[in-house]
Amino acid sequence: MDPEFEPKIIGFLCNWCAYTGADLAGTSRMKMPPSIKVIRVMCSGRIDPLFVLRAFLRGADGIMMMGCHPGDCHYQKGNYNARRRYVMMQKMFETLNLDAERIGLWWVSASEASRYVKVTTEFNKRIEKKGPNPAQEEIFM
Amino acid sequence: MTKESSVLVYGTNLGGYRAAYGLCKKGHQVILLNRGSYVDEIRNQTLSQLPLDFCWMCGHFVQRKFKALGCVQDFYNSRLGEVSGEAGNFKVKFKTKPQTVNNFICTECDKCVEVCPVKVNGRKAIYIHPEIGWENIYLIDRENCTQCKKCEEVCPTGALKLDREEEEKEVNVGAIVLALEYNEPTDEELKDFGLGESPCVVKNSEIARNSLLTNFIQDSVQLPSRKIPENFSIIVTSHFNKSIKEYENYNLCVSAAYRGVKLKEILPQSNVTIFLKDYRGFGKKHFRWYQKALDAGVQVEKVDTLQVNPQKKEEVTIQYTKEGKNRNQSSELAILINGQKPPQTMDHLSKVCGVQSDEYGFCSTKPFSCCETNVDGIFGVGEFTGPKGNPETIWEGCGALTEITPYLGESNFKPSPPPSFRDIKGEGTKVGVFICNCFHTFEEKMDLNALKEAVNELPEVPHVEIIKGCCTPPTIKETAERIKQSGVNRVVLAVCTPIQKLLKFRKAVMMAGLNPLLSEFLRFREDVINVHKNKEEMLKKSLTLIKAGVAKVKKGSPEPTLKDKFTPQALVIGSGISGLTSSLEIAKRGFPVTLVEKGEAIQTKNKYFDDKQNQHLQELASEVENHSNITVYTNTTLKEMDGYAGNFSGTLLSGDKEIPVQAGVIVLATGAKEYKPEGFLYGEDRGVMTQTELQSGTEEKKAGNRVAMIQCVGSRNDRHPYCSRVCCNQALKNALNLKKQDKEVTIFYQDMTSYGKEDLYKEAQDAGVKFIRVKEKSYPEVKKKGNNLTVIAPGGEKKQFDTVVLSTGIVPDIQNNQNLSRILGHPLDKDGFFDSDVNVYPYEESIKRLFKPYEWATNCIYPVGLAHSPRSFEEALLTAKDVAGRAVILLGKKALPAPNAMYIAEVKESLCMGCGICVDVCPYSARTIDEQKKTAVVHPFLCDSCGTCVSACPNDASYLRDLKGDQTLASLDRLLIG
Repeated sequence: MDPEFEPKIIGFLCNWCAYTGADLAGTSRMKMPPSIKVIRVMCSGRIDPLFVLRAFLRGADGIMMMGCHPGDCHYQKGNYNARRRYVMMQKMFETLNLDAERIGLWWVSASEASRYVKVTTEFNKRIEKKGPNPAQEEIFM
Repeated sequence: MTKESSVLVYGTNLGGYRAAYGLCKKGHQVILLNRGSYVDEIRNQTLSQLPLDFCWMCGHFVQRKFKALGCVQDFYNSRLGEVSGEAGNFKVKFKTKPQTVNNFICTECDKCVEVCPVKVNGRKAIYIHPEIGWENIYLIDRENCTQCKKCEEVCPTGALKLDREEEEKEVNVGAIVLALEYNEPTDEELKDFGLGESPCVVKNSEIARNSLLTNFIQDSVQLPSRKIPENFSIIVTSHFNKSIKEYENYNLCVSAAYRGVKLKEILPQSNVTIFLKDYRGFGKKHFRWYQKALDAGVQVEKVDTLQVNPQKKEEVTIQYTKEGKNRNQSSELAILINGQKPPQTMDHLSKVCGVQSDEYGFCSTKPFSCCETNVDGIFGVGEFTGPKGNPETIWEGCGALTEITPYLGESNFKPSPPPSFRDIKGEGTKVGVFICNCFHTFEEKMDLNALKEAVNELPEVPHVEIIKGCCTPPTIKETAERIKQSGVNRVVLAVCTPIQKLLKFRKAVMMAGLNPLLSEFLRFREDVINVHKNKEEMLKKSLTLIKAGVAKVKKGSPEPTLKDKFTPQALVIGSGISGLTSSLEIAKRGFPVTLVEKGEAIQTKNKYFDDKQNQHLQELASEVENHSNITVYTNTTLKEMDGYAGNFSGTLLSGDKEIPVQAGVIVLATGAKEYKPEGFLYGEDRGVMTQTELQSGTEEKKAGNRVAMIQCVGSRNDRHPYCSRVCCNQALKNALNLKKQDKEVTIFYQDMTSYGKEDLYKEAQDAGVKFIRVKEKSYPEVKKKGNNLTVIAPGGEKKQFDTVVLSTGIVPDIQNNQNLSRILGHPLDKDGFFDSDVNVYPYEESIKRLFKPYEWATNCIYPVGLAHSPRSFEEALLTAKDVAGRAVILLGKKALPAPNAMYIAEVKESLCMGCGICVDVCPYSARTIDEQKKTAVVHPFLCDSCGTCVSACPNDASYLRDLKGDQTLASLDRLLIG
């Protein structure tokens, strides 16, 4: 593990649950690693596999996707779409020989600030252990 | 004398909120008196009874939306004083004390907490409300506060003032809505259940509250010794309480079932037992939850008496009698689900405004009205007028609207029109970055000047500035002025939470004459300042975020606000009591109504109603026939219907004639049928009849001396797995009548689902009616022997009777419903009734929908009365009024902007090939395919901008106006590459 290594993590957060949860974590002044940078999407169902792949090839070391709990989606069923896409993305990553462990999907509700901090911290540790994303140096396709 | 236009709402139950919201939308000013010092200090029924295991944020947005509407004045710590005058012109005095920390201008900088010298229990004397973390509610521990006033000095916005004076105010209003909250039984009154004596006894609402910020997890049920219990018992106290009468509403039994299912989910190995007398799950889908609980392995014990004996440490014994036998069960945690008490404020209110209580202690309302009290112009809604479930409370809120408006003058509130946007064509992109220092509090935590310089070096940013704030009225104005002066045409605001303050930020941008689609609000405080410590890291991260924001706004385009036309007409299908009521209420407010009836004439008599109800129906029918706004078509059916919410057009079929029809909203009041019994010798022996036949009192259907009643015929079986709601009360009433004639009555039942304020069940028991419980989903057998009818209970017990009365349930008119469902594209539920937005309660799948009335996401088709689910006369009236209220708000608009005005999805026509995938995935049916152009069309009226269609589109033809794909990709690139 390289102590100098500072992971670049992109988080796609749904506006109503995860983004609001992160908001609450902020207002509650919970400390978390600075590595995660947030992109707000209206619904986790909007997370396009293209976004994930693009972020990965542009050098993100890890990608987090977060949405409302199943059955709790603000848009009724958008998070189910996200879940299906996530499974598809994992297969795609395996097919392309990319590291599927560098992407993850979590359900974080708007009130779960502590959960948000927990999953980001854990994911940050996971990525720190894995080191930099090799895909940014390899040329393929 | 002209009528006043404003309305005073006293209390904060859900019905009051809903009425206030509707009145605001109609343009009446509302004065909201909260008795507590912050939003939810006094719990309303929803907060107390809804098992709030899931996040509750959406509910809390309501308050903020009020403020955004701009026509609500809210007062805290208030108490209603003298009321004088008459309906239309009330003079109301009230006392109020402003909040110590005014949460409208508080910026949550936490400085007050930092300087507070007093430390108690790990917190300061001033602290943020631990349960409502998302609103900036600061509480002051008055006992420990030393009044040093350091916090007052340090507050940058002047929101905090320790000594606030109580003020007396006087207002003139046209009507008063009493929406007082609900009273839970006290700990003393629940002493029989060990509450307060043992740590192992908790209220369900406490569990719900504790799990509010964490969701329902194992920690939510842990014992004081941090042990996670394994044996749970859930007790519905209203069934067993001897010390007081707890009124039971909608939710209690289903709350028990729900809690059981959830416990099994988080602790699959645990033993969960529910103790109740009868499972009274008479709401829509409540029996499905019961089944779910049984399937999950939850034990349900239907017992006669129950007592909880606290044992030594962390254990209680539940002592109960079942079928005459005493039993014991030990349990590590007993969860109490309690009912409701009559409001304690009744005496005070009778004194100040003259409303009367009924014999049970609730506020009395006039018959055939949903919330009119005995005083004209004063209305009571929600749990204040009786034990209510959430759907009923919500219905009353909107129903109140139709009853209040006649007392009010012309609407007096018109929101100021949004400022016009500057045309930025030909200007090129000029991005301005504005960094908030939150009244200089951020400066202590990081070097803002260094950040400003770093941003200044970016070639694409011609202007960067530090602002003082953007959340109090003066700072919003100042920021707008600064944006204007700088001459930029795209704005990045590095501020704090856009979740709470989005509207304020948007306002600043709009006041500067810019389209809000050209702005981005970065969560500077929550993403950087509050969560990191290292100044270097903070600087680096905030610069990256600003770069990404700039990249995003550069690709934004100023698109106009959209409007959609709205047909101000209503179509009502069916002319039963609910159809007639809703047509009349809508027509009286001045909107044309088309009433369609497939029968010969509109209904004037209903065999299930009593005389008074029939008289009311008759009056309604003649009023409808003579009303100039209502066109009645009899012998007519709906042939086809096109269009979407707000703009339906279709044809009616009357004989061979086709009649075109247009409507903005459609009300489905098609009713349901009585179940026709099969078996039980019904139709074969004249001694076997239905409850309605018994009521009709004809000579042929006269009851003999020994009467048996069989409950749940045609309900709660595999074919109709729901409770029909009306039959138990009907049977009990008939039994009491027969008892008066000295006849012997025996009732064979599965669960007595009697509900409401009057306790008919107990009355019948006292009167000597015999009750024999049979196993669920099984029925007694009826056999003829000589002159006697023999009823054989499933246990084998035999009894002789002269008459057998079958309590038949309500079944949907499947064929008709399916036909309409196909024509209108409105779904049916699993039982064959029409599904609707609000009453798919409980729970999870619908909590968001429960609040949708505030947010507008229905398809403008409203099932009412029996078309929706089994319900009684009064409840049918209530739903009809609710729908009329909702329709009136909408129809009055004529042209509606989309819900988020400009934040919607759109289609690039050149790229769209009309495959229709987006139409399938849209959760709001906001998309259709234009048959001529063969492209997808978005109805801005319905779109809620989730973006599901965007990621589903194979051609990249769909986009969200404020979050276009290339905007996201651009900011993604900047985040990663820098």
